[in-house]
Formats: sequence, structure tokens, C-alpha cells
Amino acid sequence: MKKEEFLLALEDVLQMEDPLTEDQILTELDEWDSLSKMAVMAYYKKNFGIAINLNDLKDIQSVQDLIEIAGDNISD
Amino acid sequence: MALSKFEHAKITGISIVVPEKEINIYDEAEYYNNSIKKIDRIRKMVGFWKRRVADNTTTPADLAYNAAENLIKEMNLDKSTIDALVFIVQQPDVINPATAYFLHDKLGLSQNCIATDINQGCAGWIFGIHMVSQMIESGAYKKVLLLNGDTPSVGIDPANRNSAPIFGDGGCATLLEYSEDRVESFYNIETVSSGFEAIVSPFSGTRFRMDWADEKEFELLHRLIHEKITMPTGMEVPLMGGYLDGIAVFDFTIKVVPENIKATLKYAGIQQDDVNALCLHQANKQIVQAVGLAAGFEEEKIPYTAFENYGNNTMCSIPTAIACLDKGIKKDKLCCCGYGNGLVSACAILNLENTYVSEVNNFIKPSYVKTRDEYIDYWRKKIKGE
Repeated sequence: MKKEEFLLALEDVLQMEDPLTEDQILTELDEWDSLSKMAVMAYYKKNFGIAINLNDLKDIQSVQDLIEIAGDNISD
Repeated sequence: MALSKFEHAKITGISIVVPEKEINIYDEAEYYNNSIKKIDRIRKMVGFWKRRVADNTTTPADLAYNAAENLIKEMNLDKSTIDALVFIVQQPDVINPATAYFLHDKLGLSQNCIATDINQGCAGWIFGIHMVSQMIESGAYKKVLLLNGDTPSVGIDPANRNSAPIFGDGGCATLLEYSEDRVESFYNIETVSSGFEAIVSPFSGTRFRMDWADEKEFELLHRLIHEKITMPTGMEVPLMGGYLDGIAVFDFTIKVVPENIKATLKYAGIQQDDVNALCLHQANKQIVQAVGLAAGFEEEKIPYTAFENYGNNTMCSIPTAIACLDKGIKKDKLCCCGYGNGLVSACAILNLENTYVSEVNNFIKPSYVKTRDEYIDYWRKKIKGE
């Protein structure tokens, strides 16, 4: 998946009203609540086969962190 | 993995009741800064919409009783032929004896019909049909009435947005019978007891005791009841309410439950495509979809309308989901999975072809139900011997 596609998908997962950028700090968003975190966990499990651990989730601060976790699933 | 298979235990009837009172989340905008947009977002993400709630004189047993009366009438059952009554409950009427004895009496069952409670939560329907199937398969019991009831919404502060919008109440009666013809069912129950504290009512039993003879204890109780704690999510909840660690539960649900389902399919020798529908415990829309998709099912085979319309009525949610299936859907290979407090994941492959399934009926309060004042007075007189 291309990075642009991922950003669009993430906007949908988080039900964002404004577009997301790669350098967006998630913890600054109202939308980054427990519902969104669960939605992200579900999205990664379904689309990338990656089970995000609870501890990893606590360390996720930015969109960039999410892209790193996806590894080869997201390309430039 | 605890795998098991039965060949003669058949589910012949299912009847469901839910309270008539409906709460719609759009009528609760005050908790969402009066923002319809916020509610729309929550509705889309987790499916919060409508839920059915009981009043505080209605117990899980009353809901189960009403469902049982309906089933007996709808199936034209001869009560004297019922060999066992099993009541799955986590909020019994009284701590002892088993509430099943109360239901046995009210339903007018025979002295030769045994009765007992089993304490289970969201996996309770699957757990119940699994236990009862063993009773039937052994040959000792030919006809067993399984009852489920729960009132998780009662007593929750509406301002507690961590729990209040999720739960609805319900009662369910299921009849299982010995079938000479082969009817296969497959089960896989996994116990993850390290998650005991992830969904728990810590102050509901004998682990938390008070000395009623000491007046000072009332002050402590008063303080504790009013104590509010802020969760890491920022949500403020009462200390003495039920505890639900949403993210930890979701973590269990996304990792253990899909694998539990896949292992059950493998054991039954079928694929996701062979299954008519995946009727999951209606925890919420987000969890149902995440589990179903991770287990390899197509989106249209994973219904969640029961959650949107009735809320998460815990152990009654799978039968509610079955009752909500489109009429055209075959039911000879249903995959059902209950998961929740324990923690436990319980999956079953069931053949419900020719099984009677009721509509989701409105609960009619049994005439025996007393108000709290009447209940106190009843016992006052009883003890006096009047």
C-alpha cells in the first residue's frame, strides 16, 4: 500500500473531518481516543495481519509511528 | 483448546424477550457536548444506537421466566416432560439457593426435573448449550430447558459513558432435546483466566465484606459509593461500579477469539464459505466486525444489527442475533461465538434447521414481581410467621 492510500484509509478509520499528514502528532487530536485506538488495532490485524500489542499502542505518538509498525506493508 | 462434538443433542426451540423501554443515543446528546456529529461518529465506529433497558425491580430471572413461558406456549410443550432446568446467570435473585429453584417453582416443573444455576457472562449461551448437550448426549436427560437472563444496564449511571451506552437487558429460553437422528454440533472453549480482572464486579460478592453491626461501616460505604476514579482514557467512573478495561478486552478479543473460531471450523471440517452466518456475541459493532474479519469471514456474513437495535445484552446476544437474521438465510451451519468475562472464548458450529426461533418479543413483567417496599414487607411478615 502506498503511503497516500494509507493516510486516506487512516482518516476513514479514525473518522477524521480534516486530512491527515505523515507528521501529524496523534496525541494532539481529539479523535485519538480509545475507540480510534481499537479501530487501528482492528485495521492492522485485518489488513496487515499485525496484532499491535497494548504496550506498543501506548508508545504510538504520531502517524509516522503507525507507518513504522506496518513495515513493508506501506511503501513510499 | 477444549474441543468437543455432539451427535444427538438438538436445539429445538429458542425464545427471546427484551424490555420494552428503549433508549436512543440521539436522545443523550447532553453527554456529547450536544454534538450530533460526535454521536454520528460513535454510531458509525462502534454502532451505539438503541438499547432496551429493564426497570430496577426486574431481575435476570424474571426476563428468563417470561422467555420460558413464551417458549412453552409457542412450542406447545408439556412441562412434565422437562428433565432439567439450567439457568445461566451472573446476577442471581439471591446468593442462595440457586435461582433455578425459584424458576422451577414458578414454571411449575416436575419434582423429577433437576434445577441448577451456572455462573457465566457473555459466553453464557454457548457455555449453556455446551453443558446441556453433554447432559443430553449422556442419555440421562432427554429434554432440557436452558434459561439465560441478564440486566447489565440496571444500576449504571447514565453519565458513565464507558458502560451505559453499551448494555441492554434480555432473557432467553432454549430447549434442547435428544434426537435419534444424527445432528452434529462442534464446540471449542478456551479459558484465559489471566484476564479475570479485565471485566469484573470487584465489590459484588464475598471478596468485599462489610460489618453491618458497626455503624462506622456505613460512613465508609457512603464514601466508597460516591468515589469517582479517572481512567487512563480520561473517563470518570465510580470505584464501586463494574470494571471494564476496554482496551485489554479488545486486545484479547482480537488475538484469541478469531483463532478460536478458525480452530473450531477446522475441527468441524468446514470453511468460512460453508457457514451460513457468523453470529457473534454482540459486544459492539467495532468488535464484532474486527473479530469476524480477522477470522476470515466476508463482511456480509457478520451481522451486528442486534447490537444496534437492542444493545449488548451479554449472554442473550447470540440468540438475539440469530432471531434478527434475514428470514432467507439457511441455518444448517451457523457459526456462533461468545466471548467475555472470565475471560473466555466459546465457539460452536450449530445446525438450527427446523429449530423454532421466536421474534425478539417485548418482556411482560410476571405478576409475581414485587416492588422493593412490597418485598421488604413480604419478608417482614414471613419471618414473623404471619
